[in-house]
Amino acid sequence: MPGFLLQRAGQALVTILGVATLIFFVQRLTGDPTYLLVPETATKADIDALRHALGFDRPLVVQYLDFLADLARFDLGQSVVQRVPVLTIIGSRLPYTLMLAAGALTVACGIGIPIGILLAVFRDSAIAKAAAGFVLAAQSMPTFWSGILMIMVFSVLLGWLPPSSTGDLRHLVMPSFALGLLSMATFARIARSALLDELSKDYARTARSRGVRTPRLLLRHIARNASIPVITVLALEISNLLAGAVIVETVFAWPGIGQVTVQAILARDFMIVQGVVLLGAFVTVALNLISDVLYSVVDPRIVLDGAR
Amino acid sequence: MKRTRRMLASALVAACLAVPGGAAFAAKDRLTIDLVGEPNSLDPHVQWNPDSYYVYRNIFDNLVTRDDKGLIAPQVATSWKQLSDTQIQFQLRDDITFHDGSKLTAEDVVFSVKRITDPKFASPQLGQFDKITDAVADDAKTVTLTTNGAYPALLAQLVKLSIVPKKVVEAVGKDAFNLAPVGSGPYKFGGWQRGVSVTLARNDAYWGTKAPFPSVVFRAIPDAATRVANLMAGTSDLAANLDGDLAKQLQTSQRAKPVPVLTERVAYLAMNVQKEPLNDPRVRRAIAQAIDKQAITDGVLGGTEKPLAQMLSPAHEGFVEGIKDLPFDLAKAKAQIAEVGPKAKQEIALVTAPVYDQRVVQALQQMLVDAGLNVKIEMTDMGSWLKRMQSGPDSIPVMAFSRWSCGCQDADGVLFPILHSASGWANAKDKTIEEALEAGRQTLDPAKRLAAYKTVHERIASEHFVIPLYQAAQMYGTSKNLVWTPTPNESIFVNRMSWKD
Repeated sequence: MPGFLLQRAGQALVTILGVATLIFFVQRLTGDPTYLLVPETATKADIDALRHALGFDRPLVVQYLDFLADLARFDLGQSVVQRVPVLTIIGSRLPYTLMLAAGALTVACGIGIPIGILLAVFRDSAIAKAAAGFVLAAQSMPTFWSGILMIMVFSVLLGWLPPSSTGDLRHLVMPSFALGLLSMATFARIARSALLDELSKDYARTARSRGVRTPRLLLRHIARNASIPVITVLALEISNLLAGAVIVETVFAWPGIGQVTVQAILARDFMIVQGVVLLGAFVTVALNLISDVLYSVVDPRIVLDGAR
Repeated sequence: MKRTRRMLASALVAACLAVPGGAAFAAKDRLTIDLVGEPNSLDPHVQWNPDSYYVYRNIFDNLVTRDDKGLIAPQVATSWKQLSDTQIQFQLRDDITFHDGSKLTAEDVVFSVKRITDPKFASPQLGQFDKITDAVADDAKTVTLTTNGAYPALLAQLVKLSIVPKKVVEAVGKDAFNLAPVGSGPYKFGGWQRGVSVTLARNDAYWGTKAPFPSVVFRAIPDAATRVANLMAGTSDLAANLDGDLAKQLQTSQRAKPVPVLTERVAYLAMNVQKEPLNDPRVRRAIAQAIDKQAITDGVLGGTEKPLAQMLSPAHEGFVEGIKDLPFDLAKAKAQIAEVGPKAKQEIALVTAPVYDQRVVQALQQMLVDAGLNVKIEMTDMGSWLKRMQSGPDSIPVMAFSRWSCGCQDADGVLFPILHSASGWANAKDKTIEEALEAGRQTLDPAKRLAAYKTVHERIASEHFVIPLYQAAQMYGTSKNLVWTPTPNESIFVNRMSWKD
């Protein structure tokens, strides 16, 4: 196991360096943010003065080496628009992203997995068809529409929930459902196919022939085996959610990472974009590693490479 | 695992049901204002962004201000007199204290002017104040500013010069001042929840009109439909940057109403008249006749905007009554294009960016195509758009839709950058216009200035170097209880509001 972890950590470092290099140069292909920071009436001299003050007039290689040197010290720099350290900005947004991701995953798994089981166990029944229709409808609704619809019904019409922004837990409910209902279909589909796959295997048939009832069969015999694809999807969904849910965050004015990233891209606030992309790369690499380790815990037949 | 998920879901639902809905959403002693984004910075000298502007103008006083009628009025300065063409002396109030209790003096005014005009400080607003070459405190109540020549737009620019406390800024430094600004305005900085809101608390010791609300919260609500929903649900009291369609929704609301105001923003069709086919005056004339401005303002934008025949709005110093533009006449436009022949049929890119109203851009394209031109919309990002538009006559796009605001309500801030060859935006290269612009900039005599700008307007109306389209509106939505008169300079001064139950 330690050998495996060491090998993967080395790969992760190379991946993150590659991502850092790519994002640094790709962003600068579009120019620099100076024009966006000044009024239309600014003269060329004013624009040049600001560009110089921000350091964007230096050779690109010098800027890149500076960026790498700062990165080695875990310094992601300062936002050129807000003049605040990027870590402060990401740090202030991350808790909201984590809350929304947790809420959405709760909705997605809490509804999606039971529906998946329903679809597998009661295959071809009217209940399963109705559930499949529900899943399809939930996945088909664009969040910019379903979000506003929820706001109009639950906030404006009924007054049950606050329409936007943050505060107590009630603020989290609508964004979690708007986002979670999209992932719900994925979980339902994966859970269904994984269960059907396991149910068709010999050991399941043997258990049935021995008179094991369906609930017990599902819980004791099949659940663990069927959970591997679900864990894979879970890891992918978590990294997607942590990268930000731009539309949901915008509709509900939820101050997550996605919202700040889009604003930073539009404003060419390179430092924030770099910080968020690196965070995303780190989270993706880490979650992949964790899911690999989890496979071996769930299924002892899987042996990690370095552990041999 | 599943049990844990179920417990989490139950806890969420229980939390929802435990708190009675609606009751705590809005409090009368707190005004909630929904903006598009959060401020970039609350240091008034280091940003140029409307959302910052809305907030910090309640924290700081300016040397002068504009009243609700749009006229320049005293604020920190009680009066001023022109000592010469290049020197102006201000008498200051002696009863203003900053929020930390220290007195606002001439030293603070001089410090503020020198700070924003220091090229090393690199303020984004430098271009608005760089005509000021010196600031001197004659005594504790008197400040003299020197400009590098007569500068008639000085007072209009000083409306935006916030006075910061010298001692505080020097003690805490630029970055810390941005995070905890200290001003002398009707509200004190309360707190900043990043990405969510900025809270201000009433300055009970304010020297001027006291604010009616003990606290104000400026929230970042990026989606316009959500800002409208907040108003309708009663969780906000004022929302900025709505559009005509959303305003219609508010007209049926029990709680809120649309509050439109015509601004100083001028929408226009920018053209590179050095490039084919727009270097042919007949093509430009055809374009001027092909655009139905009234159809754009009434049909596309909902009737709040007003068509313009000149490149200034009535809110600008330099607006001249009676300037006529060519009336909409599609048949004549078609005939002109046909007369020009194949040259007029070459493809023209109408360059735009997402920030502009694409309904207007598409309407313009359609009108020009109807006249026989071959216009294609080219979408680019705002940064690239700005760079290209300021790149000089050789590379300025052939055609673009633009909206211009100098934030100063003065002709010099609009016409000079768009039409004088000293500016990267300009490409007309018209001697008559350039001389008139220089004359308008170099005299303090209002009548002479107006005559100069009349020349510019008439020249544009005859040569069509740009096509003025309309005076843009700002659509606010407010609670029906809020009494407030918005102004063309798009400021939200909370101490000028009141609440009616």
